[in-house]
Amino acid sequence: MPGDLLLVPFVAGVLVTSVLALAGAGLFLRGSVWQALALGQWAAAGGVLASILHWPVLPVALAVAAAVMALLQRIPERERLPLAIFLAGLAAVTLLAANFAQASLAAAAWAEGQLYFASPNELWAVGALGAVSLLLWPGLRRIWLHAQTAPDVPATPPSGPWLRLTEIAWLVAAIVLGTMVLGLPAALATMLLPAWGAAYPARNLTSLLLWSQALAQAGFLIAWGLSLALDQPFAPVLVLVNMGLALGARLVAVRG
Amino acid sequence: MPSRSATPILSARSALLGFDRPVLGPLSMHVPPGARWALTGPNGAGKSLLLRAITGQARVHAGRLQVAPGVRVSLLAQDHPRRQPLPLSGYDWLRAMGARVTEPSPVSALLDRRLDHLSGGQWQLLRLAAALSSCSGHAPSQRLILLDEPANHLDAEVRDDALVLIRGLPPETTLLITSHDDAFLQAVGVENRPLAEYIDAR
Repeated sequence: MPGDLLLVPFVAGVLVTSVLALAGAGLFLRGSVWQALALGQWAAAGGVLASILHWPVLPVALAVAAAVMALLQRIPERERLPLAIFLAGLAAVTLLAANFAQASLAAAAWAEGQLYFASPNELWAVGALGAVSLLLWPGLRRIWLHAQTAPDVPATPPSGPWLRLTEIAWLVAAIVLGTMVLGLPAALATMLLPAWGAAYPARNLTSLLLWSQALAQAGFLIAWGLSLALDQPFAPVLVLVNMGLALGARLVAVRG
Repeated sequence: MPSRSATPILSARSALLGFDRPVLGPLSMHVPPGARWALTGPNGAGKSLLLRAITGQARVHAGRLQVAPGVRVSLLAQDHPRRQPLPLSGYDWLRAMGARVTEPSPVSALLDRRLDHLSGGQWQLLRLAAALSSCSGHAPSQRLILLDEPANHLDAEVRDDALVLIRGLPPETTLLITSHDDAFLQAVGVENRPLAEYIDAR
């Protein structure tokens, strides 16, 4: 069991892992994984910029990520342009870090993650997002299923634009908070790898979500234990563990 | 037979259809409720384009193409490639399409299976069943079903099942089909309507 000092980071990590796993399943179903890379990188760029300007980090990161998401929504291209936007975000963070001492520290924090230093404020924010995710779940499921039908067209009316906007806002919040708490590589590994691994053994949508949650939580718990026991940074350990779990799930499912 | 004087469920007046630029038309047609039409014509005549324009997937550049108010339209597209892996079941697909099948159905055995584990013919049959029963709670006379080459990919095993599904539609429901498979169209029992007949004289 984590000690008292680590209780807040541990609970924040469990909660944000759950939200990211759900977001990852949605991104997998939508075929939008490149968007996650671009969003996460620009959330980090926003956080670094906020540290230079001495502005509050979360609102700035959210605003920058929302602007990038608005841009991505206008681009029908699903791979190359989101990748270019991701690279531009990487360049922006590197240039800021090279020119401002404060930015260098912030960039390192966003890259490595600050899970062990997660504050009660972050825990509340993640908890609130988790509660919102539960409330939104029926709508998210409807949108994600509806997105599968094209080029066929159902006779049922499509989801209203407000629901689609809510999904986008939720996704931006999940990626920004996840990146803030876990660091960019760990947040992306929690979103993308469990959903990918889960896609092989899952029998249906519900099963995909359960497998994604199980793999993501197992990855978090194993990485938490290993990094503390071996005195290693958490984020890279999590990336490697999640990669191993996803590959293992795929291997078992394909052979089974 | 549908009444010729009834308000059309679908009407086009000098409609120019296309994607970036108009490639079909001007086209004028009135489809009465309850019609069962097969739109025929050579490849490239614009049959699929017309169906996609009806659902809003293609543009109406000029003229008018109008579905009667309150009518629900579903479309079975000509092809629907599946991503790999695709962790959704037949039940998920029905839910996505807002469809409900009455058991026993020719697709009952497919509902528990993953979509990417179905054969090409089974996948086509499931999509067909979903398009036919999408929004089936709506009044049958207020439903317009568009089937673009529904006989594609249907092997002998599922072809008869597809016919059973189409013939099981309520008689008030309007059906527009495109197909190059004359035997299939005859078996369905639809009226052949060459698309060229609806192109306005210039």
